[in-house]
Amino acid sequence: MPHDLPSDPADHRASRPRRVLGPAILFLLPALLFLAVFLLYPAAYSVVRSLYDASGARFVGFDNYAHMFTDDRTLTAIRNTGIWVLVAPALVTGLGLVFAVLTEHVRWATAFRVLLFMPMAISLFASGIVFRLVYDENPGRGVVNAAMVSVHDAFSTPSEYPGAAPREAFLLPDTTLGGFSGTHTHEPGRVVELPMVGVRPDDLPEQASPASVPEPADPFDNAVRGVVWLDVDLDGDPGVLDDGEYGMPRMTVQAVQDGRVVASTTTGDDGRFTLPRTPPGEYTIHLAADNFTEPFRGLTWLGPTLVTPVLISSWVWIMTGFAVTFIAAGLTAIPRDALEAARVDGATEWQVFRKVTIPLLGPLLLVVFVTLTINVLKIFDLVFVIAPGSVQSDAGVIALRMWQVSFGAGGDQGLGSALVVLLMVLVLPIMYFNIRRFRRERP
Amino acid sequence: MGPWAGDEQRAFERVLAVFEERTGVTVSYSGAGDDLQTLLQTRIQGGDEPDVALIPQAGLIEHFADEGALVPLTTDVVDALDENMAGAWTGFGSVEGTPYGVYLKVADKSLVWYNDALFAEIGAVPPRTWDEFLELSNDLADIGVSPLSIAGADGWVLTDWFENVYLRTAGPRMYDRLGRHEIPWTDPSVEVALETLAQVWGQDRLMSGGRGGALQTDFPTSVVDVYGDDPDAAMVVGADFIGGVVIAGTNATVGDDARVFPFPPMEEGDDSVVVAGDAAVAMNDRAATMELLRFLAGADAAGEWAAIGGFVSPNRHLTADDYADPVTGRVAERVVRAGDGVRFDLSDQQPTVFGATVGDGMWQTLQDFLRDPSDVEGTMSRLEEEATHAYGEG
Amino acid sequence: MTTPAKKSPSVVEVSVTGAPRRGTAARLVGALGSGALRLLLITVALLWMVPLMGLLLVSLRSGADNTNSGWWTVLLKPTELTLANYQGLVQDGVVLRSFLNTVYISVPSTVLVVGIGAMAAYALVWLDFPGRDWIMVAVVGLLVLPVQAALIPISRLYGALGVFGSITGAILFHVAFGLPFAVFLLRDFFVGIPRDLLEAARMDGAREWRIFRKVVLPVSRPALASLAVFQFLWVWNDMLVALVLTSPDSAPLTVALRSDLRQFGTNVDVLASGALLSMLVPLLVFFVFQRHFVQGAFATSPR
Repeated sequence: MPHDLPSDPADHRASRPRRVLGPAILFLLPALLFLAVFLLYPAAYSVVRSLYDASGARFVGFDNYAHMFTDDRTLTAIRNTGIWVLVAPALVTGLGLVFAVLTEHVRWATAFRVLLFMPMAISLFASGIVFRLVYDENPGRGVVNAAMVSVHDAFSTPSEYPGAAPREAFLLPDTTLGGFSGTHTHEPGRVVELPMVGVRPDDLPEQASPASVPEPADPFDNAVRGVVWLDVDLDGDPGVLDDGEYGMPRMTVQAVQDGRVVASTTTGDDGRFTLPRTPPGEYTIHLAADNFTEPFRGLTWLGPTLVTPVLISSWVWIMTGFAVTFIAAGLTAIPRDALEAARVDGATEWQVFRKVTIPLLGPLLLVVFVTLTINVLKIFDLVFVIAPGSVQSDAGVIALRMWQVSFGAGGDQGLGSALVVLLMVLVLPIMYFNIRRFRRERP
Repeated sequence: MGPWAGDEQRAFERVLAVFEERTGVTVSYSGAGDDLQTLLQTRIQGGDEPDVALIPQAGLIEHFADEGALVPLTTDVVDALDENMAGAWTGFGSVEGTPYGVYLKVADKSLVWYNDALFAEIGAVPPRTWDEFLELSNDLADIGVSPLSIAGADGWVLTDWFENVYLRTAGPRMYDRLGRHEIPWTDPSVEVALETLAQVWGQDRLMSGGRGGALQTDFPTSVVDVYGDDPDAAMVVGADFIGGVVIAGTNATVGDDARVFPFPPMEEGDDSVVVAGDAAVAMNDRAATMELLRFLAGADAAGEWAAIGGFVSPNRHLTADDYADPVTGRVAERVVRAGDGVRFDLSDQQPTVFGATVGDGMWQTLQDFLRDPSDVEGTMSRLEEEATHAYGEG
Repeated sequence: MTTPAKKSPSVVEVSVTGAPRRGTAARLVGALGSGALRLLLITVALLWMVPLMGLLLVSLRSGADNTNSGWWTVLLKPTELTLANYQGLVQDGVVLRSFLNTVYISVPSTVLVVGIGAMAAYALVWLDFPGRDWIMVAVVGLLVLPVQAALIPISRLYGALGVFGSITGAILFHVAFGLPFAVFLLRDFFVGIPRDLLEAARMDGAREWRIFRKVVLPVSRPALASLAVFQFLWVWNDMLVALVLTSPDSAPLTVALRSDLRQFGTNVDVLASGALLSMLVPLLVFFVFQRHFVQGAFATSPR
């Protein structure tokens, strides 16, 4: 797409486009009619409507605007829209440029571009589903967490008893050491019984065998014996080791004295354990935290903190095809002689790219960038379909807020229109920038 | 125009076919789904409103009535209502004494659905009181089964929880006053209800995925959590229409694997029920419009749909035998018979911005409360603040 | 906008007939090593493909299977695959009718936007008249107006005109909302047309309309093609406008599929298969027009 600008002013004057009002009007008329009726009229309507209250009957001046800037959710929406505008269009334009250039002469470029284009061809409703399939927090449903969990579990073994806990009369959660600590102290030679709950009997390790209370150790051994068992037998009494209740193997049991672990052991298949050589004096029994570590379940992608980045990533997934298509079309139109000339002059590829390709593509990149920026300002349905209800106010953007206010919540057209006006004000900088460009770029 | 789509739309079209056959009037229904309010609003603005609209939310009837978009029912229709509807249902369709709505399809929101196999595993029986319910939940957690799946991502699920608890802790009279915002949300009765709720919501071990997981769970997922092939939880609190989700989304059978018990009362014998429903309203007073409403109020319309299934009617002439399955039949009986304790869904009566908006009002505040159930004070003052705002403007 | 010297058409033709060129990318490949490049592109392709695969697999499984396990597990249990969802769709008469409605709405909207947009852009670039910059700026400004802001005012208008619920109403709305982007994009392509081309035609005494038809339109084929593809796509996938402005008889596919939704949207299976089916047409359009993007490489040379 060549852009030639008059290089000298004389030339400029000599070949000004004809001043022709008649044809101009004919050429412009259909477009102007459409724009006036369908866009200008609603825009003006919004400006006027924003000065009236929800029912439209009472003139309220700038109250809607005042309300807009004091309402938390609207402020969140404004902030999020800011993040979107700063990050998303630049990212997509950049990716579009990179992919378009890299695939320019790859044999399967068409296949690649069609693939990038496909997300655009999917209706938004389907995109909503797609991203639930990808980002669902449950690793059984969301593929990202499923992948993260399997990678994580390949490197570290999950703990044996996540979610298990001792009955409260025996041990309580320990806030300093983690895990659970005894409610009272023992001396060597005692037998400690530790009933546990929170595990389904079917989920016990296969080697688990029926539990039994061990004999006390010889007091002179300084050893402590005990048993850890799953105390959930339906017919049994809570806290009592009944027949048919199983031991919990491979549980780490520790003795703690003055806040320090002084002895440590693990339970056998029947849940019995012996802590040898416990130092004299009183100590408490401690079940180490890593017995109970919850398994890694991936990240809450659609939670309050990550939702905006995730939404941006899904928008990138959808819109990159748009940028690639236009930039690739622009690349093919770059005159080869310009590139060759630079190469002949000994420029490196990177220099050619930076000094020739980019400037030649410049106006197109700008068009793509501006279009994307404006598209970002208008985003609302993507947020609406992807973000779960509980984080929609965290993920809110101006256009979504406008939609909710005007149509969702009892139809406050006044406040909704004020938000539309805010959107229009936000494009003013873009318009200012463009009007300068339009003036400069006249053919 | 109405909110039903898919199977419900097809069933309703069969009901309409009966009407067409009888009167020769042609009726066409368009399903608007979740966007009903948007569509109605733009159609009213465009002067192209439907003759009859089905509105799923009492607050919305009030909103449209205030805008002057609705026409009050004629005496013919009101007579038909009096003849057919169980006690409270005529009142539910009125705005400040003027009758507007004919409730056609209603929902019992005071149910707890449970997975029979998991209950059998620990020999559990449906609890009769709130304390038994807590005890059962703890027992389930003890044997490593998450007792509840709570769809915290959908705000209305949480308001249903709150309404059930509030109706039972504070009683129907206070419920009415709170519903009209005659008492503030900072009232001690609200504190009691929230603290009661926190007995469940405050314990990660009582819900599948903990509180964080619950906030990411949407309504259909919460049902699948209980009735999937590899269930994650044993109970889900919700309305009779959970049955439809069970049938559509899982391999479980309603009435067999999927059973219900009433939301547990604080004291045994309390028969409080929270209900909601879709009401037909008229947008003009043409004879055919009113004729259709009169038909919808009658037993024939209700009977037709009841036989298809997935439908509960407030019509007292229908018996359990008229329904497609016994679970629905029992639910319908309860809705029709419920006496003083039957109350309309409180959040549905609120201005929409407070009672039924994603990311706003009660929905959002209760989601925040589920995130941090220790913050009873803050929750109450936020609810009060938003309610004041919603009522002040509306 | 610094460089290029004026290109006469003949120079461009030289490059057309010249030896096979080595493009920027080809040389970058040399610099980076083609292995690394290929790896990068394949990774990107995979990233883009995973969500699409998800959609495809979900559409090929039953509703209960989808709720019971992750969609990727079907790769290990291919027996779960079924075409039932698609059969259901194809047998549904409503789907066929609404499919035709979608075509009736999308095609005219696209043609009108491209045509009217090109005319306006031509006037804004190549004809001189007072205030044209301001019109251009207004067009960019209107680009930001969200569709939902126009729903209520336009509904009122349509109610008064009696076009509410008709296909025409939907088309007019789409044309209007497609125009700002069309004008904005085409203006930029038109600015780049070498002035000599137009001056030559003007010297020959051609009227503006003829210049527009015979010179400007053929030369801007890649731009027009890309614009047409995206305009088509946006209208094809629109739901909001159709939902509000059409009636059941004139409703397009997106709206019809939506009414197949069970309550609470539990049937991702139906949605996914519907989405994939309705995606075929835009993809076909893309393939057909893709040729024009590529040919566009030499479009600046008049032949």
